[in-house]
Amino acid sequence: MGKPEVDLATPLLDQSREELSYLRLEPGRITELVGDTGSGLTRLGLSLLAAPSRAGPVVVVDIRGWISPEAAWETGVEAESLVIVRCNERPLWTRVTAALLEGVPAVFAEVPVGIKEQDLRRLAALARARKTMVAFRSMGSRLPSGVSHLRLRSLGVTWEGADRGHGKLKGRRLMLEASGRGAAGVTRRFEVEDEGKDTLRLVSDVVFDPSRRAAG
Amino acid sequence: MWSLTRPDAPPGNPVLVADDRVTGATPDVLAAGVTLGMPRRDAEALAPFATVLTRDVGEETRRFESVVEVVEDLIPRVEVVGPGLVFVPVAGAIRFYGGEDVLARKVIDEVAGHVGSGPGKEVLVGIADGPFAARWAAARSSPGEPLIVEDTLSFLRTLDLESLREGVASDSLIATFRWLGVTTLGDLAGFPREALATRFGNEGVLAHRLASGEDRTALPREIPEELAVEMEFEDPLEHIDAVAFAARNISERMLSRLRSNGVAPHQVSILAEPDLGKVRERIWRSADPFTERALTDRVWWQLRAWVESGGVPGGIIRIRIAPFDLSGEGRQLGVFGDESARIETDRALARAQALLGPDGVLEGRPQGGRMPAERVAWSRWNEPETARDRDPTAPWPGVTPKPSPALVPPRLQLIEVEWDGGMPSRVRLGTRWEPVLTWSGPWRLSGRWWAGERDADRYQLVTSAGALLCVVADGKSYLAGVYD
Repeated sequence: MGKPEVDLATPLLDQSREELSYLRLEPGRITELVGDTGSGLTRLGLSLLAAPSRAGPVVVVDIRGWISPEAAWETGVEAESLVIVRCNERPLWTRVTAALLEGVPAVFAEVPVGIKEQDLRRLAALARARKTMVAFRSMGSRLPSGVSHLRLRSLGVTWEGADRGHGKLKGRRLMLEASGRGAAGVTRRFEVEDEGKDTLRLVSDVVFDPSRRAAG
Repeated sequence: MWSLTRPDAPPGNPVLVADDRVTGATPDVLAAGVTLGMPRRDAEALAPFATVLTRDVGEETRRFESVVEVVEDLIPRVEVVGPGLVFVPVAGAIRFYGGEDVLARKVIDEVAGHVGSGPGKEVLVGIADGPFAARWAAARSSPGEPLIVEDTLSFLRTLDLESLREGVASDSLIATFRWLGVTTLGDLAGFPREALATRFGNEGVLAHRLASGEDRTALPREIPEELAVEMEFEDPLEHIDAVAFAARNISERMLSRLRSNGVAPHQVSILAEPDLGKVRERIWRSADPFTERALTDRVWWQLRAWVESGGVPGGIIRIRIAPFDLSGEGRQLGVFGDESARIETDRALARAQALLGPDGVLEGRPQGGRMPAERVAWSRWNEPETARDRDPTAPWPGVTPKPSPALVPPRLQLIEVEWDGGMPSRVRLGTRWEPVLTWSGPWRLSGRWWAGERDADRYQLVTSAGALLCVVADGKSYLAGVYD
């Protein structure tokens, strides 16, 4: 039996599926992307900027100098709205990110290893105060608890199209786990299909895990 | 509180009129702590005993039209802000009637005689330098007793910050000012304007101007004739639906014309010519430049008021709207929504650039090429774009297929790949070897031999740790991208 699919393109707001809300940024709230390099999160982070880029400038903070705007354009980010900030010096990262959170409507930032917890909390408070849409991708350990509103963890990515020398990479399936306040305290797993266009597809294969501890 | 004059308000009972915020309340409701401009939900919680009526601005405008006509008979060039509030330039009228007090009392007498008495029918008149001060002078006056402000600056200094709320400053800005210890416009005027501009952008500057008595001039600039928009109708418009459609159409046409000139109006003149009778004209004013929705609403309210009050006998055969007092604020920057947002963004990026150097803040534009690294033309933010070497619209046979890798190293990185019978079997990622689960390629990349470029083969390698774009040349393997 085929799995029902839902387009995640522009009419996102018309969709009522709860998981869809995980794949868009909200003003003043931080979405944390957790996973190793290669787990598909850079492209996912860039795709989160697609909708805000239609309304104004968006910024990517790139700590390795490797992020490609071409992948962002493919996910629907407007070329004229995208600015890439390359910051490979850890001492500067906090100040640069703070400056950006203060004035830019939407930011996707890679977080280098070793950023102090209090700095991350200050940045979270700044994002809340300035109603900035933020996605953080930590390159080291997870963000401290309470910083992110929603945590999306990549459980794995599978690629389609390549077959022992034949074909080419066409699309991927990204298995994600959503948790945190933004997921209403329960852990949910869902799968996203990305065929390299500006439309992500949500595959209705959701598993609910009961929360391990109650919120009080 | 013109909202309270609606005929369906139960007489003698506590009444609250609101849309999303309170626009009118009877004294007993105000005594319960309700204030004008308060969110409806809060007001309902404070005054659960009140009858709540939803505001109908179009209907209020229709009823207010006759009041505007009374004022206009006394003083020409009335500017309507909304039902219940008009501005009039009084310099000429003061000379004609023999003084400010005489004029103000004349207006009060005429209007009070027209509207009668009852909730919301109190006539408040204030005279000051500029519309902002005059509006608050009227608010502080008593019914039948005009407040004539001699020293506008001193008067403004006593006003509470709440006075900025009407179309000038947001709730959050007012809350921030209060948090900083600023409670009156006098306190605010004491700050250096540059400091407010740096911290709060356009909104802060506008608030400081008003607090300093530098209200927007009421003198209209000269408007090129072609910016006015006119519609003529062979069959007179008599039905409300047709009038509504015309209002939307003509508003959109005018603003689209203004947008191409990079301006937006603070005032518009709305003119309607009836099939029978005299031409009607009214000027509407707004503290902010009119948006599409705001302008459409005003044109619609005005035309509806004329049609429903019998002011355009025989129907409308011509509508003309003309912009006045043009502003360059915001409207031309459709991408950014408003000017202050653009300024804040520019300021943030400039700060990042100051910290990182000019090469730290970059913009990319598509250009042609076969490899991912070639397909982006980089330029520094806020500098002219660099010339694109390669045409992005050209076919580029042999281009690396989409989806593109999300991570592309600026230069090819040497990588260890183990081959087994010409097929990739393992790839070294950091300290560990990852088996290649599947792959595609090779695709031949023929280099420009005359430019010293080598031929190479490209592979897409899929491992359990992700997919890579790999280039093999001269027996060595290089990483060209990571599909992250």
